[in-house]
Amino acid sequence: MAVREWIKTDETAEDLLSRVLRERPPLLLPPLHRLPLRAGNVVEVVGPSPCAKTQILIQVAVNSILPKEWKGVYYGGLEHSVMFIDLDCRFDILRLLQLLKHRIANAYGSTCLGSSKEVKQDQRDGKVWRFGAKEESDTGYEEDLIEICLRRFLYIRCYDSYEFLATLKTLHDKLQWSREELGTSVHFLMIDSIGAYYWVDRASTSLPLGAKDRKTLSLQSVTEAVVNEIRNILLVHPMLVLATKATIFGDKCATNDIKRKFSKWSSQDTLDQSMVGSGSENLSHREYMPSVWQSFVTYRIFVRPSFKQLSAANYDVTCEQVYLAEWLLPSLGITDKFAVTDAGIFMVT
Amino acid sequence: MAPLKSLERDYPIIDSEFQHFCAFHGIFTVEDFLIHDLNALVMFVWKQPNSERLKQGIDQICFLLESMHRPWLNGVALLKDAQQNKQNKHVFSIGNEGIDSFLHDGLREGRVIELVGPSSSGKTQVCLRAAASVAKLCEGGVVFLDTGNSFSVHRIACFVSQNSNSTSIEGSHETFEKVMSNISCCRVYDIFGLLDVLHQLECKLKCEMQAGDHLVRLLIIDSLSSLITPILGGGGPNGHALMISAGFLLKKLAHEYSLCVLVTNHMVGGEGGLPKPALGESWKGVPHVRLLLSRDHRASNGYSFSMLKY
Repeated sequence: MAVREWIKTDETAEDLLSRVLRERPPLLLPPLHRLPLRAGNVVEVVGPSPCAKTQILIQVAVNSILPKEWKGVYYGGLEHSVMFIDLDCRFDILRLLQLLKHRIANAYGSTCLGSSKEVKQDQRDGKVWRFGAKEESDTGYEEDLIEICLRRFLYIRCYDSYEFLATLKTLHDKLQWSREELGTSVHFLMIDSIGAYYWVDRASTSLPLGAKDRKTLSLQSVTEAVVNEIRNILLVHPMLVLATKATIFGDKCATNDIKRKFSKWSSQDTLDQSMVGSGSENLSHREYMPSVWQSFVTYRIFVRPSFKQLSAANYDVTCEQVYLAEWLLPSLGITDKFAVTDAGIFMVT
Repeated sequence: MAPLKSLERDYPIIDSEFQHFCAFHGIFTVEDFLIHDLNALVMFVWKQPNSERLKQGIDQICFLLESMHRPWLNGVALLKDAQQNKQNKHVFSIGNEGIDSFLHDGLREGRVIELVGPSSSGKTQVCLRAAASVAKLCEGGVVFLDTGNSFSVHRIACFVSQNSNSTSIEGSHETFEKVMSNISCCRVYDIFGLLDVLHQLECKLKCEMQAGDHLVRLLIIDSLSSLITPILGGGGPNGHALMISAGFLLKKLAHEYSLCVLVTNHMVGGEGGLPKPALGESWKGVPHVRLLLSRDHRASNGYSFSMLKY
């Protein structure tokens, strides 16, 4: 009888699954929704600039810093802190604020009116502001919530690899501090964009000082140090790492040139060129980060504008830009279409 | 950059013994610490007889590293900064309503804006116009880096006197001189000269910032691409490295010293004969905003512009 008691099940697999699904809502919004991403993963968003890479990060950040529920209104956020390391120095807080306000107004409106359908339609046009609920809501209520959310967003800007490395080296203390001060743990580490100092590091040389066995400052050693630091941090503080990477050898016509030019590259950098194509829209994406970073990445998504070229002649400002997203690692073979509006990213079918 | 030897004076804990230990592991400068795994180093420290002291030295280095990066900001502080900029009218009019509305009310501080267009599409004119407008309406300093001898005092004088409404000639003459003295022009003919001037400007701005008077509001480089194009290509990474360094230096100036940076770029023949902005893929990540200027052929004197990236 005691044995029977001992082997009694706590919960069935079905119970477990439903509990887990309830407790852990899908972590990420489109276009990152296809894979079950979790803490410890390193996701790389690749694409030619501009292709909404930073927008994807901001979207994830907003979803993360929003509370799940606040003063009786359901916002569906994750209530986690976000760390944003800006290597490109192009982050705009006003963009994040705009998105945050949209989300808040949406949630508020749908709760008050109980007609989420209408709001959704409005959201599509990015015209939530004119919705009736907004005017009635007192602004103090909104400002409090915005401040709570923004407190969870931690931001740092770097101008070179030294600063980036110094940031990573001291990240551990910062994470502990934020856990104690803010009471929330950091669940996302965002890096925008990882290849920002590629050229500078390639050309960097260190002064000859003393010994032969001294590690020289190079792209290879810097990347190794970056990967090493992030790996160490992830052991102690499990986070989901989201890094963007701009394709800097994107041009099709220049491919031949580049091949010739860089065949002399050191053997440390394994260059593989993956052709990403669907029909006539062939666009090559060339891996340029050292292999130590490549093998660190667990998931890779390729984002690009759906138009073949944003050339001067046919570029129209008013039309809604549609982007394509495709998982390269693992290659799912599905291409998602999404559009970016003032209210965020939306899937297009 | 900073050899450990030079730190000894300020931090006695970094003594010759500590330096010897570091040299054994191939560490000679603070930067060498950055590419080393500190955890592994601490493991080595415990095997040494004088581990306590060495550990203190490493802690001291960690403290130094802390000061090497900018402080972490949270969203509230960021937003406050951004809103302060708006309130203090740190948004300048470029002098043309159409372009202003395109850029959300004009030039914002902390931004690098690129004007791109084929030759004779009005890039220099927009630059001169912006210089005149900032010098006059915002009474801010303008630094104009001229690489192709295209800076024209007469044209600026034209713009300045054009929209002055003051009727008294004497008064307008005084303000005219004041406005013109706000604009300083410097001619640069290669990338090294440019980097030199930018570093000098950084020093100057740092001093001004500490002294409390902040005058320079707008930095114009016309044209940046003519300096960079000659050094690109040729196989090595050096040309690109110089380009990206210059780009990051501009961004740093823009952010840290609240400038607006306006640069111009030309067009080259791209895929299928369609013109595209010069400087290639790597440069795309540098400017915050790219404005494409083009000449309208239907109207004899009309120009059109469109946003390539925002």
